[in-house]
This record gives sequence, structure tokens and C-alpha cells, in this order.
Amino acid sequence: MRLIVRDLSKAYGFSWAVKHLTLDLTAGDLIALLGSNGAGKTTVLKLLAGLAHATSGEIIFDGKPGLRGQGGERSIVGFLTPGEHLYDNLTARENLKFFTALYDRNCSASEIDNALSDVGLAWRANEYVAALSSGMKCRLSIAKWKLLDPVLMLLDEPYGVLDASGVELLENFLRDHCAKGRIVIIASHHLERVLAICSRAIVLNQGKMIYDQRRQQSWESFKTAVNDCLRMDPNGGIDKQREGKNGRHGPAPSLLV
Amino acid sequence: MVLLKQASLILWKDLLLELRRRESVLTMFFFGTLLLFVFHFAFDVPPQTIAELTPALLWLAFLFTGTLGLAQLFGLEKENRCLDALLLARVDRGALFVGKVSFNFLLMALVEIVVMPLFWILFNLHSWTHMPALFGILFLGTLGFCVLGTLMSAITMTARARELILPLVFFPLMIPLILATIRCMEAILRTGQLGDTAAWLRLLIGFDVIFLTVGVLIFDWVVEA
Repeated sequence: MRLIVRDLSKAYGFSWAVKHLTLDLTAGDLIALLGSNGAGKTTVLKLLAGLAHATSGEIIFDGKPGLRGQGGERSIVGFLTPGEHLYDNLTARENLKFFTALYDRNCSASEIDNALSDVGLAWRANEYVAALSSGMKCRLSIAKWKLLDPVLMLLDEPYGVLDASGVELLENFLRDHCAKGRIVIIASHHLERVLAICSRAIVLNQGKMIYDQRRQQSWESFKTAVNDCLRMDPNGGIDKQREGKNGRHGPAPSLLV
Repeated sequence: MVLLKQASLILWKDLLLELRRRESVLTMFFFGTLLLFVFHFAFDVPPQTIAELTPALLWLAFLFTGTLGLAQLFGLEKENRCLDALLLARVDRGALFVGKVSFNFLLMALVEIVVMPLFWILFNLHSWTHMPALFGILFLGTLGFCVLGTLMSAITMTARARELILPLVFFPLMIPLILATIRCMEAILRTGQLGDTAAWLRLLIGFDVIFLTVGVLIFDWVVEA
């Protein structure tokens, strides 16, 4: 399994959200997509999910062009954004039933119950999603994608709403998913958490990729290298103002380290 | 078959949500009834012109009532970005269109079943035997309304003032359908049969077939844009 992104660009009006992004992702990759606010992380995820049209460039999945359009390719992409993509006035169980049927997975009632039980929502299976907390909605989304088993899993800021056990649940799901030969991309500001589980980090700055490394060196040097990139100013140098406040290897203000 | 299965799933989901919220159907029902009472008290329709005037009044009521439902048709999908979840899934865009048209049609049919007899009573229409033929025409008219309305509702979904824009783009396109439906209903009310207005019936059927086909074909482009 291989995902190739070639020279992908996306403009909103006169402003470039993503510029000339080129990537080559292989099975089992767990990628941390990092960058400050407005760096283009969510736009990249939307482009990969086929929820936004690219201005130029191409996406090739296993030799097939594009993830956009109808047909089989679309079904392989999972997109987890906490609190979104669930119907408030359907129960947790009905949401899973609807989406699994829509993806033609036709899970049995016991499979759905097991998935809810795995994420600790069995006791609230018959409650409306509107009545669930943000963390519970995120757990429900995890249950949904566990059942649907997408080949490419995209996550946009999944950590913000989860408690400690929720984070553990999510990370176990992602590790298992990668172990099955799937590709996972997580866009997040929780640097330490996401770097701890990823196999590769990509840093965006104003839509441009400024760092792309596999985690081969030690944890500390990997984190330091990523942090340096995150503190780059838009012109490519180290942001002196941030450096002055936080020290050479201190946290960037927009990041929750 | 896959298209119909996916369309029925979307219809099931929309009906379940509507059953719990009851926003669209109640609003449409009360607004439709209110309009009929307003027309009844505002217009003193003489018996000799009843066949000419009443179909237009009835359609005016359905047009305004139906537009209320159309404005909310994609509202549920915008909450929590559920439309993205549907687009992300392997759901045929044509199925999404057919599902939404079916849901809209069922809502309209429900309102019409209640409003029609009330209209009959309020305007002293005696020819109850014409009711089945009128329902037939209403079926075709409502189908055309829902098909074009769903398409327009999707096109204006992301517009800033969509409640204002929707009728502005939708009503002019509805003129052939409204004319055809009114002419056919008028002929049935006057003589009990279509007679020389059969051409209007053909226009009505043509309108439904064309826009249903166009909708299924271009809905992918409409929702992705």
C-alpha cells in the first residue's frame, strides 16, 4: 500500500493554504502532521480525504489516481474530527448502524455492541449523541472507524477532548491500525503525545512542508529537530521573539507540549 | 440496486431525525393551513370562477409551504459537518439526491394529504369524485417541486443568505411546472377530465423526468462544489 502526493497545492481565494506538497507514504506509517495555526494541516487532511478540491497536483493511492470522486477509493479513507460527523439526534448505536450500513459493512448488532463496549460506551449506547460529552463523541468516532477499518486514517486534533483513558484507547487503536498495514496521519498541537507514537513527522509552515523525517534518531533529538522547525518564522529563520521568551528549545507558544 | 439501497438508508435516517425533531413537518403543516385560511378569508371566490382560481391558490400555498421544508433540507447535514461524513463514505451522490428527494416528497405528501381536504371544504368544492385525478396531478407536481427544490437547496446550501437566495433561484425555474399543474387541475375541476390540456400533462411528466435525471447526474458536482 502506498500513498503518493505530488506537488499538491490548494488556494482559498488569493491565499495559499497548501503549496507544492509532495509526500510518499507507505503501509504502516504513523505520521505526525505538525505546524502552527494556519499552517495548512487541516487543509492537507481534507485534500487527502477528498473533502476539498486541490488547486493543482495529484494524489495517487496504490497506483490509482485521486482519492476524490465516487467509487471504491473513497471508502478507504477515515476522518476523525472530535464531535463531528455524527448525527446528534440519533443514538450512539443508531449512528454506528447507519454508517456501517452506508459503507456496506453491515455489522451485526453484537459487533456494534462490542465496538461500543471497547470504547467504554456500552452503557450509553441508546442515548442520543447530543447528550454525550465531547470526549464520549470522540470515543464513538473511534468505535465507528474501528468497525469501518479504513486503509487511510486521518485525525484532526483528536487529543483535545479525551481523558487519559481515552488517549490510551485512541493510541492503541492507531498502533493496531498501523500494525495491520494501514496509514495513519494525525494533525495535532500536542507535540509530545503525537511524537511519542509517530514513526515520521512532517512540519508545515504557511502551507509549505519544511520538515519530513522518519524517527530514526533518539527521542530527544527527534523532538528537538521538530521543535526547531515549528519555531521557524514564515521567512524560514528561527522566530527570535519566541526564542527569547521560551529559550532555544522551549515550547512554541501555540503548542501544547 | 446499490443506489436504491443507499437512498433508502438516507431516507430512513432523515425520517428518524424528523420524527424526533418534528420541526419541518409541523412548521409546514401549520403554515400550509394558515395560508389556506388567509386565502379563504381574503378572496371571495364566486362559484363560476372557482375552477380557474382555486388551483392557483392551492399551489401558492404548497409552493410557500414546501419552500420552508427545502430551506431545512440540508440543515441537518450541516450540523456537525455530517455532509462531509456522507461525502467521505462510498455513497453514490445520486443516491444522496434520491434519498433527499424521497424525504422531501414524503413530507410534502403528508402535508398535502391533510391540507387538500381542508381546502376542499373551505372553498366549497363539491366534486369529490375528481379528488383521485387531482391527487394524481398533485403527485406529479409535487415530485417536480421536490426534485428541482432539492437540487436548488443543495446548490444554495453554502450561500450566506440561503433563505433569501433559494426562492430567488428556485421560483423562476418552477414556472413551467406551476403552470402545467394549475392548467391540469383547472381542467379536471371544470370538466372532470384533461381534454385539450393533455399537452400540459406531458410537460409536467417531462419536467419530472428531465430534472430527476439531471439531478442524479449532476448531484456529485453540486455537492462537491
